[in-house]
Amino acid sequence: MSRHDAIVVGTGLAGLCAALRLAEGGARVLVLAKGIGATHLSAGTIDVLGYAPERVERPAEALAGLPPQHPYSLVGADGVGAAVDWFKQRIAGGSLAPYSYAGGIEENLLLPTALGVPRPSAVVPATMAGGDLRGGAPAGAGDDRRGAGSAVGGAPVCVVGFRPLKDFYAALLADNLARVGLRARGIELDLAPEGRADPNSLAYARAFDDPAFRAEVTAQVVGRLAAEERVAFPAVLGIARPHEVWSELEHRLGRPVFEVPTLPPSVPGMRVFAVLREALRRAGARVILNAVVVGAEHDGGRVTALRARHGLREERHGTEAVVLATGGFAAGGLGLDSRWTAREPALGLPVAGVPAPGEARFRAGYFDDHPLGRAGIAVDRELRPVDEAGERVFENVLVAGATLAGAEPWREKSGDGISLSTGFRAAELALAAAGAPATAGKAG
Amino acid sequence: MLVIGGGATGAGVAWDAALRGFDVMLVERGDLAEGTSGRFHGLLHSGGRYVVKDPVAAEECVVENAILRDVIPDCIEDTGGLFVTTPDDDPAYGDRFLEGCRAANLPAEEIEVAEALRREPRLNPAILRAFTVPDASIDAWKTVWSFARGAAAHGARILTYHRVTDLHVGDGAVTGARLHNERTGEDVDVEAGFVLNASGAWAAQILHMAGIEDVGVVPGKGIMIAMNHRLVDTVINRCTMPADGDILVPIRTVSVIGTTDIHAADPDEIPVTQAEVDQMLDDGERLVPGFREARALRVGAGVRPLFQDAKTAAVTDTRDVSRTHAVVDHRERDGVDGLLTMSGGKLTTLRLMAQDLVDAMCGQLGEDRPSRTRTERPPGNEDGDSYRLGSRLRRREATLQDEQLICECELIGRRRLEEAMRRRGTADLDDIRRNLRLGMGPCQGGFCIYRAAGILHGVDRLDGAQASAALRAFLEERWKGVWPILYGDQLRQARLDDWIFQGLLDVEHLPDGAPA
Repeated sequence: MSRHDAIVVGTGLAGLCAALRLAEGGARVLVLAKGIGATHLSAGTIDVLGYAPERVERPAEALAGLPPQHPYSLVGADGVGAAVDWFKQRIAGGSLAPYSYAGGIEENLLLPTALGVPRPSAVVPATMAGGDLRGGAPAGAGDDRRGAGSAVGGAPVCVVGFRPLKDFYAALLADNLARVGLRARGIELDLAPEGRADPNSLAYARAFDDPAFRAEVTAQVVGRLAAEERVAFPAVLGIARPHEVWSELEHRLGRPVFEVPTLPPSVPGMRVFAVLREALRRAGARVILNAVVVGAEHDGGRVTALRARHGLREERHGTEAVVLATGGFAAGGLGLDSRWTAREPALGLPVAGVPAPGEARFRAGYFDDHPLGRAGIAVDRELRPVDEAGERVFENVLVAGATLAGAEPWREKSGDGISLSTGFRAAELALAAAGAPATAGKAG
Repeated sequence: MLVIGGGATGAGVAWDAALRGFDVMLVERGDLAEGTSGRFHGLLHSGGRYVVKDPVAAEECVVENAILRDVIPDCIEDTGGLFVTTPDDDPAYGDRFLEGCRAANLPAEEIEVAEALRREPRLNPAILRAFTVPDASIDAWKTVWSFARGAAAHGARILTYHRVTDLHVGDGAVTGARLHNERTGEDVDVEAGFVLNASGAWAAQILHMAGIEDVGVVPGKGIMIAMNHRLVDTVINRCTMPADGDILVPIRTVSVIGTTDIHAADPDEIPVTQAEVDQMLDDGERLVPGFREARALRVGAGVRPLFQDAKTAAVTDTRDVSRTHAVVDHRERDGVDGLLTMSGGKLTTLRLMAQDLVDAMCGQLGEDRPSRTRTERPPGNEDGDSYRLGSRLRRREATLQDEQLICECELIGRRRLEEAMRRRGTADLDDIRRNLRLGMGPCQGGFCIYRAAGILHGVDRLDGAQASAALRAFLEERWKGVWPILYGDQLRQARLDDWIFQGLLDVEHLPDGAPA
């Protein structure tokens, strides 16, 4: 049986951040995960709080108004801010440097989605920040090129799409931006990596890493731009050298360029995964994928080891602490069977917020507020799981990310913010516990 | 002549009448096969289900099953069927069943349980008896479109999204109707020498417009659940008196369990309840152990046009109403000329129903024009081969990398999607769904519907507001069929879709209305 100071279960943003913070704090960390986490499905932005339920302009202030059972209420605005600062430093100093994130928790940017909806987001790749649609100037692209606060929503936008990329529709995006009062238009190029008929975002991102492809794109775009326009691309501007790709496009086109996240696979999400994974490797943490945690051994209220299936083999991994960051229902971190019983499959933790048998789990309208929406693992202020009576289940298990009860991140636009801040907080708490006099002892 | 209703019956009637040389207009308030016909388990009955309880219906099925295999082969998959006696069923019923099959001229044969289990390994190993029958599965959307296109090729006008709002009656005869175009909001009056009411469960609403009341249309709600896989490759029936949840039909890439039969007061109000879903899953478990572990894709409810005149008030269990059809002659019954109603019936006998209705019309008109639908093939059946699972993949496989695959689940390429959008000229993605099965697979449109909205925007030159409305409407309509079965892996899928549509695209905050 291997022995570790901490085992993190899950490789989404929460698990990666928890593991990296633990490793940086000197812990011997093992990461076990069924597979790659939700980074590859996400926008790649750190959305802190976009709707509550009205649109949030200043997330740091709005966090204070959330109900006590919301995950952010356990972390606090200061905790969220600290996690964001830490994250921005790790990316900026990471393996894709100078690729970096802009923004902070004080105010939300408004970035267009691939449908052209202005979506609030707090901390975003610098390659996306130029898309800010707030009335004043677009941020992040250098003062000399700002739109001088002219029209509502900033400088007009030319959206560049690629006809062979089925996951991005420039004209539809532009039309919807026009409907909220921004001058916008779409153009579509026929360029495809290696002439392929059905390449996805990742194929384009790899193509953009190639200077020859970039040169072809700029050659086809540059003459078609109007004087004040900024240029939107799908978020496919490079996977190995994204900063270089983006800044070269800005330079060659002579104007702000920004990325718009679109359907999975998410290239910006993959960049985050790559940077954090490499940072983990450098910090000495071990990551095992295709490992399914199926149970735990305990000594009283403490988990002493996890049992994990690696293919057909089952192994035990000894640990002093566990950070459970396996995700919610989307990731399989939570499950609901046909008899409507919810379970947490790794440790068998009680799931809170599930409507009782006979009560409605969902409402009839898709955009309604669904009773099952906030189900998850309830925790105490130290992120330790609690049962229905509020009693701690385990002393040395901490829960982070989408597994937590109390939020509907896809509606709130809070997903990555919750994952980052609770993952970071879980690591800090575990490090503090380990730093107590009886390190590695049973006191907890 | 005016045909009211664009389901299986109406399309069959339009085809039959157009072939006989009548000038036909078919009107449908929604899309073709949007009502009962499209909310159907897909079983082309051998007749076995009715041999004991409803021998007339059984005999009709035996004959019509064979005819449809001839005239619309491409719409049918020859799955074969099994009737199985589960441990909860009386084995003696099997003898009555066989006897009934013989009487109905239905080729049924008892086989060893071991042989049945060899053919269908997932079948409940505790079954006591098994019988083979010539059941099949039938694609209702394809069938209805096939007949409608055939009618159009013979001069019929097919008007979808045209709701009948009034019937014109003068001198004791129906002379025409007022139609409301649901798309443009316009009203138009049409004259008709004859009106054939093929509106199924909605028949009473239509007759009300001609001042005809107390017609015994008894809407019977049936729910069915489409499972993600073909849990069986043969139609499985419980060998017992017809009951709930006793049919499992493999169709295309899914299998459908059905059904219930509950009296519905209003054919437009047929919500699926949690208890019904639970019951259906338990019934599935009886046929295929582990059914509850399988992934449910979608649940739907249809409303049968059952008919029981003169004693409607006494009806409590709609299952006891005969599944045969009858032509209601309103001249005889109500003193109104130029109007006939088709009542009752089922998809398997749609051709016969159409023939009977048009025959009755010919009788009133004194015309001698025989039906030709026994042998004539409507368009879409040129292959002449019945559908086989895998044929679609085989057709596409060689060229799979040559164009964009827009709906990966249902293998719909961009060319085919754009063609359908141009042909239909519709801004409604649900219309496209019914034609191509767009968004019908495991991800329920999670990936393809954003793409389809983007393509629709380009093809139809829609503005952003229309394309966005189409996307939102699809999501809202889809939700009705998925929320009652969201558990297990399908809940997981739905949550991923939430992340895509709400988290990533922020669909719920799409602006309303025109450019600012």
